[in-house]
Amino acid sequence: MTRIGAYVCHCGLNIAGVVDVEKVAEYAKGLPDVAIAKHYTYMCSEPGQRMIQNDIKAHELDRIVIATCSPRMHEETFRKAVAEAGLNPYLTEIVNLREHVSWSHTHEPAKATEKAKALVRMGVARARLLEPLERHKVSVEKSVLVVGGGIAGIQTSLDLANAGFKVYLVEKSPSIGGRMAQLDKTFPTLDCSACILTPKMVDVAKHPNITMLTNAEVTSVKGFVGNYDVSILKKPTYVDAKRCVGCELCTKACPVKAPDTFNQNLSEKRAISIYSTHAVPKVATINPNYCLRLKYNKGVCGKCQEACEAKAIDFEQQTETIQTKVGGIVLAVGSEVFNALEMAELGYGRFKNVISSIEFERISDASGPTGGKILSPKDGKPPKTIAFIQCVGSRDKRFHEYCCRVGCMVTLKQAILAREKTDESVRIYVCFVDLRAFGKGYDEFYRRARDMDVDFIAGLPSEIHSTPDGSLYFDVYDKGTNKLLEMHPDLVVLGTGLVPNNDLGNISTLFHALRSADGFLLEAHPKLRPLESAMGGVFLAGACQGPKDIPDTVAQASGAAAKAIDLLSSGEIELEPLKAAVDKDLCSGCRICESICPFVAIEMKPELINGVERLRAEVIEAMCQGCGLCSSACPTSAIKIQQYSDKQVRVQVQAALTEAKPRRAK
Amino acid sequence: MSLVDLMSMAKPNIESRDRILAKLRGRELVNCFQCIKCTSGCTALKLLELKPHEIIKLVNLGFVDELPSSDIIWTCVTCLKCVQRCPQKASPYHVIMALRNLAVEKEAKVPEGYLKAVSQILETGLAEAPQKVVTRKMETVDHECLKLPEINPPKESFQAVFMKIMEEK
Amino acid sequence: MKAAVFWGCRILTSQYAYELSVREVLPKFGIELVDLRESVCCGDPIKSVNDFAANYLGARVLALANLTGLDNLFVPCNRCHFTISEARRAIMENAKTGQKVKDLLKEEGLDYNPEIKIWHTIDLLHDYVGIGKIRKAVQRPLKGLKVATHVGCQIIRYSDLGRVDDAENPRKLDELIKALGAETVDYAGKLDCCGSALMHSHPDSALSLTGSKLKAVQNLGVDGLVVSCPDCQLMFDVKQKDAGTTVGAKLNVPVVYYTQLLGLALNIDEKKLGLNLNQSPAERLLIKIPA
Repeated sequence: MTRIGAYVCHCGLNIAGVVDVEKVAEYAKGLPDVAIAKHYTYMCSEPGQRMIQNDIKAHELDRIVIATCSPRMHEETFRKAVAEAGLNPYLTEIVNLREHVSWSHTHEPAKATEKAKALVRMGVARARLLEPLERHKVSVEKSVLVVGGGIAGIQTSLDLANAGFKVYLVEKSPSIGGRMAQLDKTFPTLDCSACILTPKMVDVAKHPNITMLTNAEVTSVKGFVGNYDVSILKKPTYVDAKRCVGCELCTKACPVKAPDTFNQNLSEKRAISIYSTHAVPKVATINPNYCLRLKYNKGVCGKCQEACEAKAIDFEQQTETIQTKVGGIVLAVGSEVFNALEMAELGYGRFKNVISSIEFERISDASGPTGGKILSPKDGKPPKTIAFIQCVGSRDKRFHEYCCRVGCMVTLKQAILAREKTDESVRIYVCFVDLRAFGKGYDEFYRRARDMDVDFIAGLPSEIHSTPDGSLYFDVYDKGTNKLLEMHPDLVVLGTGLVPNNDLGNISTLFHALRSADGFLLEAHPKLRPLESAMGGVFLAGACQGPKDIPDTVAQASGAAAKAIDLLSSGEIELEPLKAAVDKDLCSGCRICESICPFVAIEMKPELINGVERLRAEVIEAMCQGCGLCSSACPTSAIKIQQYSDKQVRVQVQAALTEAKPRRAK
Repeated sequence: MSLVDLMSMAKPNIESRDRILAKLRGRELVNCFQCIKCTSGCTALKLLELKPHEIIKLVNLGFVDELPSSDIIWTCVTCLKCVQRCPQKASPYHVIMALRNLAVEKEAKVPEGYLKAVSQILETGLAEAPQKVVTRKMETVDHECLKLPEINPPKESFQAVFMKIMEEK
Repeated sequence: MKAAVFWGCRILTSQYAYELSVREVLPKFGIELVDLRESVCCGDPIKSVNDFAANYLGARVLALANLTGLDNLFVPCNRCHFTISEARRAIMENAKTGQKVKDLLKEEGLDYNPEIKIWHTIDLLHDYVGIGKIRKAVQRPLKGLKVATHVGCQIIRYSDLGRVDDAENPRKLDELIKALGAETVDYAGKLDCCGSALMHSHPDSALSLTGSKLKAVQNLGVDGLVVSCPDCQLMFDVKQKDAGTTVGAKLNVPVVYYTQLLGLALNIDEKKLGLNLNQSPAERLLIKIPA
């Protein structure tokens, strides 16, 4: 005989403001097997929890039904309370009277109360059939794979390594540093980006707990949380990193020009060169698409090899595959800058003096193609008028609907840098819609720009034109003065927003990390769980989860590290038991569940049955997310989700329909 | 009374605003965040001071009563640049067309050319009357003498249906 | 291809050269034109008066095309093409409008087929016939001829409706001209409007827009301006003198339809292409063409 305790929460006025909680508790009391029914203002509070615990002992309750807010809020809390009172925590059933009743039917209190009663009736029906479940423990690796070597990946790696975890940091380009290494100064402090970043880069390279793999990519990920098997492909650089001293004699000897991606193709470098000025590791790499010997045949060129005194050039260098086991993964693959070619009306690509924000950054940087001088790319002369145009590719239903978050601050910074580096007669204009300076010290930074005579025009131009002699002009209407202004800039900087990486499709598949509607990686909960993906053990850090600036990136990276430490530090994790389980006697080995499982959590294992080897489905508990697809697809009902068997679901449906009035037959 | 324009003492007319919204394909009019791209690129701005962003804002706030009787809504060149470039697809051109329709409904002043087109269509089916063309060599030609295929006017049934549509409120 | 053809109003009442040149060149590429049973307005000027009535008129054109039983409808005017495209979208998207229009057409025993493919001169020649075929058909290459193009507004905008070329960088008309052996020149005002729609209400402003553009084209030093819409031709060609007066410039720009230029390259007689009807100084362009 089951003895059920039913509790109806007021949730302050959240539920009680719409639902007549007293009546619902009264109703619950009248249901069979309900030994006790109460209502209280805040069930999740200390006195509320204590009430349940006392009742379990006093009334010998063996099932608990709590009609309150969404189980996503406090199911864990109530389970813990119940467990402390000596009852199996999985004998607790939460009925949602807030999201499903009071919040959805705010304007129909009478009907809402009836619905609440019905839901409680269903919850009680289900509670009768709840089974005690145990959490299983599985051991985990105390190591983490960090994908992406920008500031997010660097910060996460250092935090994890310092906490005693082994870290594999995988970066696809020949050097770590990412986007931040390309910046001149950072807002709002105007810190030199390289100055604050390179010490961290060196720390990463030196840290005994970090294995830094550059020019590398992750090619496969198998396993489950705490036990991932990863394959990393290290592409050949054709230079022995142990021998190369970074002297660049090879670069001087190389006759072939190659694109300089670090400088956003504003300059060229050689087929063999060091990736960037502050590269870590500071070793040369050969671009196989341009190197004559690698592209054509073995006898050709080889001048770098002749010049190299350290004998570090190795044209025979092969791809290396590294297999390793890690407990967790942090995705820190960053983002890209919007390609303004897509907005043809602004003339990017057609007019040399229309550049993107990242190109301006390289021009402004002392280590960049102009040695830090602000010069118009077309003629190499200093501009007399500079115009910044905001929201290029962002807040736009044609391209990306979201606000890129950093565009306004980047432009303010670049406008200030332009002012500092050019003659005071230079006019600097910012064409904007809403100037967003939301962070700590940000609006003060905006004031600083205004103090420095940067002019702000409230309005965006529609198109940019060039006269036959190549000078640029555009019309822009200013809301402040109500004037149509014709501007003649010598340099136009487009505030191109941050967009999802081209790689994200691949990353998404590889790591089973879902993407949100805007294309970035999807977090487990936008408000409460921004550092984790929905996949257990896979965490998110930095711009790959959404565009953000450096302070937010560093904060998120440290947070992701903390989450990984939290998960892995005890050396084992407990698994939620609400997962699929197979009754092998009913399984026919049809493999429908295996093919349908989105988390690759079902394996077919051979079993000897009556002397014949047959395949039977087995659930990898650690991978299973309890989504239920297998359970609904199985033709023999062999696989079911614990606590969601056909019977347990059917009895709820029956309870829902019990007091429904019979339909009159036609 | 929630809002008053202190210059004209006009109050928002939400009903008229909703009528305009009903004429449009979608509700994107309300998404306009005044980026001003439409006005910056408006063909009619320099000569006729048409500011599409202002029209959208006025309609959004409900200050619709003055617009149908103003001349400004007849200055749009229908170049469609604003429709092409608006980041929120608020499409000022379509809003202006809706305001023109409203002007006709309210019997406000409508440029004669449009009303002429209506009566011409009723009469001949075409919006223009056939013209003679004088060539550079000072010869006068028309459709017939150029031996182009005959122009067939619409069947009588067309007139009745078209008139009915035009008279419907 | 056998296609129904809808001329609109302007071509039938004053822009005769467009019809003449179209009827001369299209058969050379195997395109047979079938006229609709009646000539009626597409609804363009009615858009400003009664949007529903305009959609009805556009749908009526589709219904008339349906009577021919053909799958293709050729609409050589930019504005008609735009109006009919918007009408089609309105009746397909909005069930109420679609039904109301259907019922009204039914009163005349008409019905439309929304699947009919609507063509304009530019995509019919560039996409259907193809640059290769046009190049092969050229008998009198227009070598040495340098022109500017004015593709117009309503045929490239707005992209969401599905237009015949890219809205920011339309190249098809340029390619079609290159196929004839001539050269085209890009210029800042290429996408600027001719201003025709303002003739109803603000003719001075309309002429000012026309004049400014012609001035810019004239400064390019080209041999002529090529258009593909009768309303644009009306402004640049017929009203060139008035436009010049309005902007205070002496304008001497030959303005021709693409189909006229194509006809010349196919060695068709000038008069058959209506080149005597152009009001702008077409001779200045004609003498530039090698024999």
